[in-house]
Amino acid sequence: MGLLRAGLCPGLTQDVVQLLRGRGIRTVVDLVSADLEEVAQKCGLSYKALVALRRVLLAQFSAFPFNGADLYEELKTSTAILSTGIESLDKLLDAGLYTGEVTEIVGGPGSGKTQVCLCVAANVAHGLQQNVLYIDSSGGLTGSRLLQLLQARTPVEEEQAGALQRIQVVRAYDIFQMLDALQDLRSTVAQRVSGSSGTVKVVVVDSVTAVVSPLLGGQQREGLALMMQLAQELKTLARDLGLAVVVTNHMTRERDSGKLKPALGRSWSFVPSTRILLDTGEGAGASGSQRTACLIKSPRLPTGFQETVDIGTWGTLKQSPALQGHPT
Amino acid sequence: MCSAFHRAESGTEVFTVTCLFRATSSSTSALLIVCLHTVLLLLARLEGRSSLKEIEPYLFANEDSPVLGDILEFHGPEGTGKTEMLYHLTARCILPKSEGGLEVEVLFIDTDYHFDMLRLVTILEHRLSQSCEEVVKRCLGRFFLVYCSSSIQLLLTLHSLEAMFCGHPSLRLLIVDSLSAFYWIDRVNGGESVNLQESTLKKCSQFLEKLVKEYRLVLFATTQSIMRKTSHLREGPSSAFSHLSDAGVDYRPYLCKAWQQVVKHRIFFSKDDSKTSNQFSLVSRHLKSNNFKKHFFIIGESGVEFCSYVS
Repeated sequence: MGLLRAGLCPGLTQDVVQLLRGRGIRTVVDLVSADLEEVAQKCGLSYKALVALRRVLLAQFSAFPFNGADLYEELKTSTAILSTGIESLDKLLDAGLYTGEVTEIVGGPGSGKTQVCLCVAANVAHGLQQNVLYIDSSGGLTGSRLLQLLQARTPVEEEQAGALQRIQVVRAYDIFQMLDALQDLRSTVAQRVSGSSGTVKVVVVDSVTAVVSPLLGGQQREGLALMMQLAQELKTLARDLGLAVVVTNHMTRERDSGKLKPALGRSWSFVPSTRILLDTGEGAGASGSQRTACLIKSPRLPTGFQETVDIGTWGTLKQSPALQGHPT
Repeated sequence: MCSAFHRAESGTEVFTVTCLFRATSSSTSALLIVCLHTVLLLLARLEGRSSLKEIEPYLFANEDSPVLGDILEFHGPEGTGKTEMLYHLTARCILPKSEGGLEVEVLFIDTDYHFDMLRLVTILEHRLSQSCEEVVKRCLGRFFLVYCSSSIQLLLTLHSLEAMFCGHPSLRLLIVDSLSAFYWIDRVNGGESVNLQESTLKKCSQFLEKLVKEYRLVLFATTQSIMRKTSHLREGPSSAFSHLSDAGVDYRPYLCKAWQQVVKHRIFFSKDDSKTSNQFSLVSRHLKSNNFKKHFFIIGESGVEFCSYVS
């Protein structure tokens, strides 16, 4: 979208393009914001034709407003809430992962982010019988761990195999490979490839920091622009295809105060709708596999709630007793 | 006569008729009907309320209250309640008069795919005395949502929405959430020249100003605080910014000058960082008179609730 060229829309012939270019009108925006009477006089084109052209271009390139009532009807039927398979996380997420939204799991090294992602993938593939696209950029995904999680849920081998088949793994080690993978997903869904038995309902990106943080830093703006482009791609994918997107992010220290905060900066903080912070439990009684999950951003629940989760038992469906935290 | 046709150009039905008549220049009675139609639409729009007090009495209850034709900017970091405030204002506008609303239409332009319809419905259900499907649907019928994925698409969409403003005289509130969503992408697409980088947003700001003045709307636009806090004051008139740091606000203007010039009110949102309170605060600043007002609010199930004390 941008430059005017022949064939862009009906009525835009090469002659018209040349005449307009002669008067300095090169792009769609130029034509739409120009004074058409003046242009008609200078170019010798008919005013009626120009106005019609303007209308066609606007209809083609601008966005169409939706009525709230229609949108609500559509969302009521298409929005789904997918359980993560971890009861305490589900409580923080207000019943589970919402389709149409991006949820972020952020935490330091060893806090269990990859385990959460694997658990979500296993639960969605086996429990909910839906397809999962798992984009791995940190190398944390191993087939054996997935199998272990599935074996803990069901002893039946066919079910395990079926669930594994529903998880599609893509390894993306830089941002362009990741954008490609997301684009491929779009075209697969658009063509409705009948190879897979179901539709992809969850996209897991583990982790987004691994591909974006090498681009940031210094005075370069390109890194930030690429990050925002990835953000836009993830959000539009979630919205257009009705899927839930889960991303993981690392922690970094603030420059002045040394406090820990989620990485990728302020611009990224606006991207996910929900953010859950995983922390290794502190204090004397914390055993090796205990983690605390804290809700730090949510569009529908007050923030600050904490839940304790035990990674050791995540594989099984029986959960550790969840301790209700006070809003801190 | 000519100027009325120019104005009406954007209203589609009116336009097609005038176009035909230009070409054939026939019966004046039909021409008269067209003119009357335009004039009636324009009049219906001009007779609106002239102040925003009813939209939110807490925010807009002083002498500086914004009038129709004003542009307000909501600025703040993530998680400070800007979008919730927009839902609150939207709910107040689309609720029927019997439930304390204004029964006017709202157009919401979403640039970062952020809008949560289910949350708006929850807020509406909590505010209605009898929340049945029918009433909620009728309220939502007054709400329009547009998604934009780039600043060029935003500009073109504003142009094509002009027809909508013409044809909906009860459309009073325009919301853009958020205007800074394409900031980094625009900066890279514009190459090395700052002018080129800012040109689309500049055109958007100018067109928004034109739309708001011509159709007597109010525009609420959010901008995100994506720049890090400055450790010392660097640019701009030092008096203006020292006021801001006194009020505890972290503001570093980064959008184009054209946008800074069209904004009449700037409202800064922040959240109390201490773990004991769930309170949000906003500082409302009228740019001409330089008055500051601080308000506190909490966010509940039914949306934003203002705390009754004001500092």
